[in-house]
Order: sequence, then C-alpha cells, then structure tokens
Amino acid sequence: MSERGAWLHVKASGLDLLLATSDLREVVTATPVALLPGRPKGIQGVVSYQGEFLPVLAWEDLPGGRAADGEPIAMAVLRPRLGLPIQRIIGTLDPPAEAWREVDGEDPAAPWLSGVCVLEEQHLRALDPVRLIALLRRIRVDR
Amino acid sequence: MDQSFDDVWAECEDLFQQAHDTLATLKEPQPAHVVQAAVNALFRNTHTLKGMAGMLGFHNFSRAAHRMEDIFDLMRKGRLRSTDSLVETLESGILALEAGMGELRRGRMEPEDYLHAIRRELGELEALARPAEGGAQDLTSMLDLPADAMKALSEYERTRVTALLMSNLPIQGVAICLDFATFDERLRVLSEALGQQGELISTLPWDVPEAREGLAFLLMAACPAVDLAALTLLEGELITAVLLAHPDRVPSALKEEVPSQPAPPPVEEVPATQAPALAQEVEILRLPAHRVEALEARLMAVGQLRDKASQLVRRNRGALGEHPVALLAQMEEGLLEVQKSLLQMRMVKIESLFSRIEPMVKSLSRDTGKPVKLAFAGGDLELERSLLGRLGEPFLHLVRNAIDHGLEPPSERQALGKSETGSIRIAASQRGRNLRFDIRDDGRGFNLERIESRGIELGLLKEGQVHTAEQLHRLTLEPGFSTQDRASQLSGRGVGMDVVRSEIEALGGEIHLSSEVRRGSLIRLSIPLSRAVVSCLKVRCAGQAFGIPLGSVVRVQAGRALRHGGDQVDVLGLSLPLESLQACLGLPEPAGQQAFVVLGQQGAASRSVSVALGVDEILGRGELLLRSLPELAHAAGIMGGSAQEEGVLWVLDPEAVLGLAMDSLMRRVARV
Repeated sequence: MSERGAWLHVKASGLDLLLATSDLREVVTATPVALLPGRPKGIQGVVSYQGEFLPVLAWEDLPGGRAADGEPIAMAVLRPRLGLPIQRIIGTLDPPAEAWREVDGEDPAAPWLSGVCVLEEQHLRALDPVRLIALLRRIRVDR
Repeated sequence: MDQSFDDVWAECEDLFQQAHDTLATLKEPQPAHVVQAAVNALFRNTHTLKGMAGMLGFHNFSRAAHRMEDIFDLMRKGRLRSTDSLVETLESGILALEAGMGELRRGRMEPEDYLHAIRRELGELEALARPAEGGAQDLTSMLDLPADAMKALSEYERTRVTALLMSNLPIQGVAICLDFATFDERLRVLSEALGQQGELISTLPWDVPEAREGLAFLLMAACPAVDLAALTLLEGELITAVLLAHPDRVPSALKEEVPSQPAPPPVEEVPATQAPALAQEVEILRLPAHRVEALEARLMAVGQLRDKASQLVRRNRGALGEHPVALLAQMEEGLLEVQKSLLQMRMVKIESLFSRIEPMVKSLSRDTGKPVKLAFAGGDLELERSLLGRLGEPFLHLVRNAIDHGLEPPSERQALGKSETGSIRIAASQRGRNLRFDIRDDGRGFNLERIESRGIELGLLKEGQVHTAEQLHRLTLEPGFSTQDRASQLSGRGVGMDVVRSEIEALGGEIHLSSEVRRGSLIRLSIPLSRAVVSCLKVRCAGQAFGIPLGSVVRVQAGRALRHGGDQVDVLGLSLPLESLQACLGLPEPAGQQAFVVLGQQGAASRSVSVALGVDEILGRGELLLRSLPELAHAAGIMGGSAQEEGVLWVLDPEAVLGLAMDSLMRRVARV
C-alpha cells in the first residue's frame, strides 16, 4: 500500500479514514447539499463543482457507515467525481509498508475498503474509490 | 491527436458550414451581384479546403476540392450560369467532401475519388462551360482608365468587366483618399458599402490628389449609379465618382456576335434599396473549448460566492432590509444570462443538420427513380455543435438506407395502393434529458424473415430458436450484417448500420429500430444532452421548487377544492386520474392539493396518456439553464437541475413522471 504515496487522515462517518491523495481531485470547503427527491441509495444529493453537479455520498447508506454528527466542514472530491463529506481533517501520513493489514472480513465496511493501517495502536481504514463506486452502483440497482 | 490538428478539423467544419449557408443563398432568386459574391465565397472556401487537405497529406481530397474549386471558378468568370441543377450538384459535391473529411477524421483510408457519385454531373458541367479561349471578348479597353491601372486588372476582373457590360450594366469608379492610420479598416468598410450597391469588381491603387496626404484607391463596381451618400465618410476623407464604361457604348454587332455570353441569372425584380445582400462574412472568433469551460467554471465560482453572500444577507435580513435581497436577485438574473450566452456559443439549430440531408435525398431520389417527399420537424431545437459534426454521417447512412432498401419503386407502391411518392419524415424532439430523432419512412419495412435466415447463415443466430422482432431488427446493427447479395451503389455493403450504432453509442445515446410489413420503418435515436435551456412551468411541492418542461404541460388548473392522489378530475370533458407529485417522487403525502398540472406525452395526440399531477403551488414559468445529473445521482423522474437563488430547482422528466404516476395509481388500486 505504501507505494501509493501520502494519505489524508480524516474523520468521516464517525470513522478514522485514510484517503490516498493520488485518488483526490481536491479538498474543498463544505457547501450545503441540494437534496435529491427520490435519491438513489448511497447519494444524498449534489453540490455545484466546477460548473457541474457533483454527487455527494450518503455515508449512512453504506454498510458499516453512519450519519455524521453535525455539519461536515469539508468535502474530499474523489477523481471519479464523487464528494465525500468530512467532519475533521487530521493530517497527512506516509505509513511504512509493515503498517498495512488486510481488511478483516468481519468488518461491515469491508466492501469499500482497500486495507487497514495500524499506527500507534490506531486502526485507520483506507477507502478504496473503485470498490466504493462499484458498491454504489450495486446498491442502487438492488434498490 | 494534438490540439493544432483539432483546430484544422474545426476550421474545416466552419468552412463546410459556410459553404452550406452560401449554397442556400444561391437557391433563392438573387440580384446578380449577390450571386457573384456567393460564388466568390464558395470559390475561396474550396480553395482553402484544398490547401488544408494538401497540408495534411490528403492528396485525393485536395484533388477533389480542386475540381470543385474549378467549377466555382467557371461560375465566377461567367462561364457557367447558376441554375437549380447546378446548385444541386455543387451541394452534393460539398456534402461528399464533408462526409469524406469525417471519414478521414476517424482515421479511415482516403477513397480514390471523393466525387465518384457525381462524376457524370461534374463532367457535364465542365462540358457545358463556355470555352475560355477563342470566344472570350475583352471589353476592358472601354474602361476610362490609365494604362497602368488597366494592366493591374487580373484575368478574372477582365472577364467580369466584359460579362457585366454585355449584361447592360455600367462600370462605375469611386476614387477615395484615406488617412494612413486608418486606411485598412476604412477601405474594408467602404468596399462593403459599395458592394451593397452592386458587384465590386476590383480595388486599384490610385493617385493621391495634389496637396493631400494619405493613400488613394479606385473601387470599381458594376451598378446603374453610385449612391455616394450611402458611403458614409469620415472627416477629411475625399471621394469622387466617375463612370468608367457604359454598356450603350458596346457595339450592338459585338453583342450579337457573342450569343453565348452569360446573361445575369434570372432574378425577380428587386428594388436596389431592398436588395438582399449576401450576408456579410462574420468574423469567426475561434476559442479552444477548454477556455469556454474554464470561463464556465469561473462563472460557477462567482455563483458560489453569490450563494454565500445570499446566505449572509438572509441571516441578517432584518438589519439590512430588502435592498440587498433585490440586488442579489438582479445578480442572479445577470449570471443566468451569461451562462445562457455561454451555452449558446456551443449550440446550433438542428435545422443545419437537416439542411445537409435535403440535397442528398434529392440526389438519391433522382438516381434511384424513387420520388420522395421529405419532411422535417423540430429544426428549431438546438444541440451542441460538437454533436452536430458527429451526427451527420449516421443520418446520411440512415436516409440512404431508407431510400435504397425501405421505399419501394413507384410501380410497386402503386400496386400496393400506396402513393407513388414515398415519404421520409425526420422529427427532432426533446424528451427528458435526451434529444430524440425519429426517422420514419412509409416503405416496405424490414424483411424480418430474410434478416433471420441471413443471421443464421452468418452464424449470428441459432437455427430452431425463436427470435423476437426486436432481436431481428437489432441484428441489422451488427458489424458486417447485410441481406443484400450484391452491394448497390448506395448501400448494402454491410457497413453503415454498425457505424451508426457505434457513433450513437459513443455519444452515450441509443438506437431503436421497429417496422411493420408494407407500412414502413421507424428508427429512433436518443442522444443525451449535457446542458440545455428549457422553458418550464415552475411549481412548488413539499417545500421544494420543480420545473416541468412546457412541451409536456397540457393544462394548469387551480381551484378551492382539495384533491388527493387517486381522485378523478374533469378537464376539457375528459376524466383524468390525479396523482400527487409527492407520491411520484417518494416524498411524504400531502394533506390535499388545490392545484394540478395536466401532463401529456410530448407530440402525442390529445387522447393519449395524460395524468393530472397534483402540486402545492404554481410559481410561474421561466427559462432554466438545465444541467444533467451525473450518473451516480440519477433519480427517477428528475432529468436535471438548475441553480437558482434559493437553491437547486429540479427539472422533472415528464415521460418518467407519467410512468411513476401510473405506477403509483396502480399501487393505490392494488391496496384497495
């Protein structure tokens, strides 16, 4: 995992998450989300981003995810054009290879994670954008 | 492909568009000088295309463009008269070059002869042209000009002077003295103004009058008289008009000797002041698309700043009063206008696509001996310019197939009790976030038995299995599929329909085929639009604003009685089911609603499916800049959104909402 370079450590959906900086377009200040009536599962609505609508993730719809406490302060924009509301930005990390572990199959969030980084007794889950998008497509169809 | 190459393709597209527009001018009766200006413009267009193709290494294209250029040269020198059949042939030639350019852009090999399909007509035209040598009379000696000015005239200018004098038009001279600093622009302006009065033949250097400074020119034009007052002068500019040659001085014997000298094209008498001048060449400002996109993104950022300001103002409304709110509303209006203007820069009317199809149908109709009545609808709708270029080829394939395979010969149609003239109707309409094209013909329809046996023969279908009509229709879209044993000159080569499918799918669109034996075929193309300006009825429902495209609104009604989902309402003598918009979109049911909107299928007959859609409030109507939703955010019944002062206004997809309403009503019945 370490060959992916730096990671952004954030607090979102009540979880400590790592986002690969190479997967991010940018991190922007949170703006009010326009809620979509009859929204597809996994998406709460859209915000305007670079002249287009950007879908914003509904963490609570993901397995192992839950609704945030309070308003998000920022939004991480993934390269595949998806906004992730974030409660807190903790900093950047470049963990050594030996810090990485496989995702525990019992972890309900496993379908959208790429690995777990164990640093100073903290278990930081790494988000996998490709698996996340695939999951969103799947749960929308299942609905 | 690098960006500079893209620029060349884009410039070629512009040149073809200009050529189509100019040819359209020639289709109407015009004064001689307008015809001449049009032919000159076409000559320049093909000359530029020839040069650009040569530069790119497409030598066969360059040769074909050169041949077209030669025909325009014959016309501009008066050796060929502009007639309907000539314009039709030239249109076919321009279309052939344009289609060929499209193929090259896709990396296809160059054909040997781009103009193969019209080679006979072009040969006839060249043969019809009056020979240059021998019969050409040069009357330039009649011009009252000094010898050095006379020497400066080109062969073309001499030919025009002769032809115009033979056509009984005087040759006028306008001498002007202009300032050094501004002569370039002023010469252009004055030339254009004189060009409005007649055919501008030449601009010659002229002697500067004594005691004057500047640059002098003699503008030579053919017109009965020069209206100097119409040539608005600046302070210090000097102008004089002289008659250079009068046709009365041409010996009558000489006129009789040259019977083949071309007369001006037959035109209706049009007073000089009302003469429809050829559209002035518009300066084309070429911008890379990414610059426009950057501007749109910047504009969106400004919009977001405005949103923040708006939030602040709302929070402090009590202290600030209403004035800042009104100012923000004005700012919103201004921003919307700029956004719409930016969008307009990318859009073209669909009629420019139709104008390319018409001449091809005429030509194919003649070649196949099948009379065709062609009708278009929806030409006023707009689509993105980039889509226009990519749709040309698929349309040509479809129309070609309809004429070649679909329409029966007149004798067969008569025997079937049909009109001898076949019909092809192409209709464009906006459906949801899609632009839909329906291409209908009243021919024989697809021969599904033949398609099935051919599919089995090619190993695309299994023998003994049941194949639905839809499967068989779609089979014709497979690469290499053709039921024709031999390729006709028009189609049946097994290429074309798969090209159509791949091009439409590459645009994110869909193609659907259907037909009825002996009744005809329908080919439906749906192309998604990324952005559009949509006229909507604005309504409020569950505290949110929605837009309903006006094309689908049959009636709006409000009363005192509260209505509920599942009720029946009487509208124009019809009893219609009512469903609340909330129920359609999965929002909490309202206690009751006083207003409703009758939705109907766009373009359908009045008795087709329609539903009364209950809403909380009618807000009015407006033009909305629609942005489509990204795929991950697609929601049933919503075609897109429009950023407004109070947030995003969701624009409903009427067809989808009709479906949702019917589903919801069915559920109500099932619950009962």
